Amino acid sequence: MMLQIESLEYSVGEFNLGPLSFELEKGGYLAISGPSGSGKSLLMELIAGLRKAKHGRIIIDSVNHTFTPPRERPVGLLFQDYALFPHLSVYDNIAFPLRILKKEHRQIESRVNDLAEFFSIETLKHRDVGTLSGGERQRVALARAIAYEPSVLILDEPLSALDEELREDARETLKGLKDSRQTIIHVTHNRNEVEGLASKSIVLSQGFIKSLF
Amino acid sequence: MRFNNSFNLTYILFTLLGGTILIFLIAPLLGLFFSLKAPGFFATIHDSDVSNSIYRTLLISALVTLVASLFALPLAYILARKKFPLKGLIEAIIDLPIVIPHSAAGIALLGFISRDSLLGSLASSVGLNLVGSSAAIGMAMAFVSVPFLINSARDGFAAVPVRLEQAAETLGASRYQVFTQISLPLAKRSVISGLVLMFARGMSEFGAVVIVAYHPMTTPVLIFDRFNSYGLDYARPVAAIFIAVTLIIFIFLRIYQKR
Repeated sequence: MMLQIESLEYSVGEFNLGPLSFELEKGGYLAISGPSGSGKSLLMELIAGLRKAKHGRIIIDSVNHTFTPPRERPVGLLFQDYALFPHLSVYDNIAFPLRILKKEHRQIESRVNDLAEFFSIETLKHRDVGTLSGGERQRVALARAIAYEPSVLILDEPLSALDEELREDARETLKGLKDSRQTIIHVTHNRNEVEGLASKSIVLSQGFIKSLF
Repeated sequence: MRFNNSFNLTYILFTLLGGTILIFLIAPLLGLFFSLKAPGFFATIHDSDVSNSIYRTLLISALVTLVASLFALPLAYILARKKFPLKGLIEAIIDLPIVIPHSAAGIALLGFISRDSLLGSLASSVGLNLVGSSAAIGMAMAFVSVPFLINSARDGFAAVPVRLEQAAETLGASRYQVFTQISLPLAKRSVISGLVLMFARGMSEFGAVVIVAYHPMTTPVLIFDRFNSYGLDYARPVAAIFIAVTLIIFIFLRIYQKR
């Protein structure tokens, strides 16, 4: 299993999440859906390490990462607003995690070029991120999130900010990622948008798993 | 129509009121330059005491700003990002030098660095006398001006979206790398603005500096000394030259800041 969540619990204020348990195989595509306030974002932040679990375990690729800080977790996260760094170019945004890992210049260039080709953003490499459209921003953010090859990629509402036409393009991009055997968690409030993508689905309600299929 | 009329009247009134305060700010400075007498002005330009004091004032203020930033920026970042007990008290302490009389700040600093104090006796044991030294001038400048840097940088860091820092963390960056590669570059405008404000406030300081070090003279102290010893005609050219130098520096810094 690529991801094992075991009896995971968290509480903030009067809201309690879990205990939650589920698994996801390598290359799997898990959809986590539910209404606002169901705990989707909390669960996503717990898996990414942005919050510390109160109880339970998060095992990624057979390693217990429950208390690993986010920078050491093999988890990529696509933020809903993409969180691109506005002071860096498209190239530098994608290269950011590779430079943190102190990869050689050639390796960085080659990886960024490969990702730019995969996401069809070759012509945008030297653009300011502030000049990109919503769809372009998303593809840059996806390229950046998988640049260092995380074991699990979490997508926070990846289609909600896009209009109908761009949404179809984005779905194709996500299909391409799924076909490349990337393990993906897709967090959404709209279950319909993951039809044809998800291999597994969890519906959350008031902090608990309402259904798992 | 009625709305437009009332807006225009308000606008005219505000322009008149705002214009009055602008005249209040500009008139004394213009008066200073117009009342200069050529022989005295040119003699002052060639006066080495004046040029040395300007050089000393600018250099000490610049050095103090750079050194203080090493301590002030981390504090500003913590204040922008963390909640902790007594945070309000700490913020009030930071603002204290802005609200207390600067002569009182000078007296407090004098007690802190005099030979009877711990710091003063330590310096004295290695042959240094802090009182009346450039170091004392720097400490007085820093004491009254560092709140401007801390407050400006804190506001700049607070305006950086936490999401961007979290994104950098999930991409493998340590907290230090997040600070140096994301937070600091994104807060650059506020940080530079704070540095400029601190530099400006430091070099114009008189009250605290004159108490801890009358000599070597900074330009504000020299202006006071010329006025006190020889009168307005001797103080005026020094003041005009110092204002002109600082204006040139700030126009230059402002252009750099905008870029």
